[in-house]
Amino acid sequence: MSEVLIEAVGLSTGYAPGEPALRGVTFAANAGQIVAVLGPNGGGKTTLMRALLGELPPFEGRVDVHGEIAYVPQTEQARLDFPVSALDVALMGAYRRTPWWKRLGRAEHDRALQALDRVGLRERAKDRFGTLSGGQRQRVLIARALVQDAPILLLDEPFSGVDRASEATILGLLGQLRAQGHALLICTHDIEQGRGFDRVLGVHGEQTFFGPGAALDAAALERTYGSEIVTLGEGAAIAVQCHHHDHEHDQHG
Amino acid sequence: MLEAFDLPFMQRALVAVLLLSVAGGLLGAWVVLRRLAFFSHAVGTATFPGLVVAAPWGIAAPLAALGSALLFTAGLTRLIRDPRLGPDGATGLLVVAALALGALLASDVYPAGTGVDQLLFGTLLGLDDADLWLAAAVAAGALVLTLALGRTWLATGFEPQTARTLGVSRARGDWALLAGLAVAVVAMLPAVGALLAATLLVVPAATVRLVARSVPQLLAGSVLLGATEGVVALWFAYELDLPPGPVLALLSGVIFGVVALGQAAAARRPVPVP
Repeated sequence: MSEVLIEAVGLSTGYAPGEPALRGVTFAANAGQIVAVLGPNGGGKTTLMRALLGELPPFEGRVDVHGEIAYVPQTEQARLDFPVSALDVALMGAYRRTPWWKRLGRAEHDRALQALDRVGLRERAKDRFGTLSGGQRQRVLIARALVQDAPILLLDEPFSGVDRASEATILGLLGQLRAQGHALLICTHDIEQGRGFDRVLGVHGEQTFFGPGAALDAAALERTYGSEIVTLGEGAAIAVQCHHHDHEHDQHG
Repeated sequence: MLEAFDLPFMQRALVAVLLLSVAGGLLGAWVVLRRLAFFSHAVGTATFPGLVVAAPWGIAAPLAALGSALLFTAGLTRLIRDPRLGPDGATGLLVVAALALGALLASDVYPAGTGVDQLLFGTLLGLDDADLWLAAAVAAGALVLTLALGRTWLATGFEPQTARTLGVSRARGDWALLAGLAVAVVAMLPAVGALLAATLLVVPAATVRLVARSVPQLLAGSVLLGATEGVVALWFAYELDLPPGPVLALLSGVIFGVVALGQAAAARRPVPVP
């Protein structure tokens, strides 16, 4: 059995003590596994990410993280007016391994350029981050995570506002990382896409489901999305989101 | 034309302006990037009560000002966490409290209001050796801080949520930046006073920010522009017999306006069709 890299057991967490925004989360992500996190807006996906990152304390239960985490936030969280290039952003992935008194050298630049190459943006390395499209910015943030080379990757809505070409590039890359033994946790609104990953974790204030995508039945979807779910037949379903998710970070997700 | 700088007091002023431009430009670049302009102005004003009580309490003025500024900074770093206030609300609340306290103390310590102008606006032409040493120390400190914490400030300012996983400490970086700014403002007080410290910290960097394409360009450009504006303002002030602090503030503001207008005009210019 592959090694467990990130695990939550009976996790209850939130923003104000005594008022958990998310309860009863128990799941594990192994090396070489992609776990999709599904849930409605405000259901607790971002809250879960923040708890796994150690930004929110567990009120109950525990989180076990076995290795460094790379986090890919939604691109809306980044300042688009900052005078930084795609290469500058990718280079941030090398900060942890470079002591403050050392300059980022040729080796770090080469690694950042390789990471941009993997996301198909080597030609845009000198372009300002804020001038790139939403999909390209998302790929730059993924390149930054690649430079970090962490065994665990958390991705918050990596396909949100992303064009088809970028989505295909990102999906291909996530598959490669999975094959290399990374554990990936991906928040997504796309139920069918989530079903295609190794495991699905459903959240709606509490855990509603955890298991293989094939076992995600109508009852589990109903628990996860409530009235926001529309069944399309032959097992397919979409979640009708009443609010845009952009502000979930700022709220008690 | 440059005989003004033959005079010893003008030479001191020149050295002070050049040293303070280093601190002002380097820290100012981060002030502008991190949107801390209001804090920079407020921390200068927050030194007011400390400066008022310095002489009667027998404390060196820079130390009293530093104590006041750091107290303000510490209070702010606590209040800033309250989402109901927000950074600007917390800064505004504390600066009003500091001003009110300073004014109350001043009405007792300085019955006729003498000296308060000097505290608020500084005297660039009346600096002593201690002022210059303090300016040199702050310039060196700003350089060290930028080298040591530049990555932290960049990563945190660009996108704070990931800072932790990138191995940088947001809390340590923020505290060091705010405390560094407080110290820099205290060093600027003798030259430009509490109210005009923002001239050195904010205006050159805000001007260069309009055209800089990278953070290193912004850092170097802010230092160079600050130094140039300082030297030109000194010369103007001498030739026109005006106080140098306000001349510097006015000149910096005019240059910002010219660059901003130039940029707006360039943006409106139609793109030629090939």
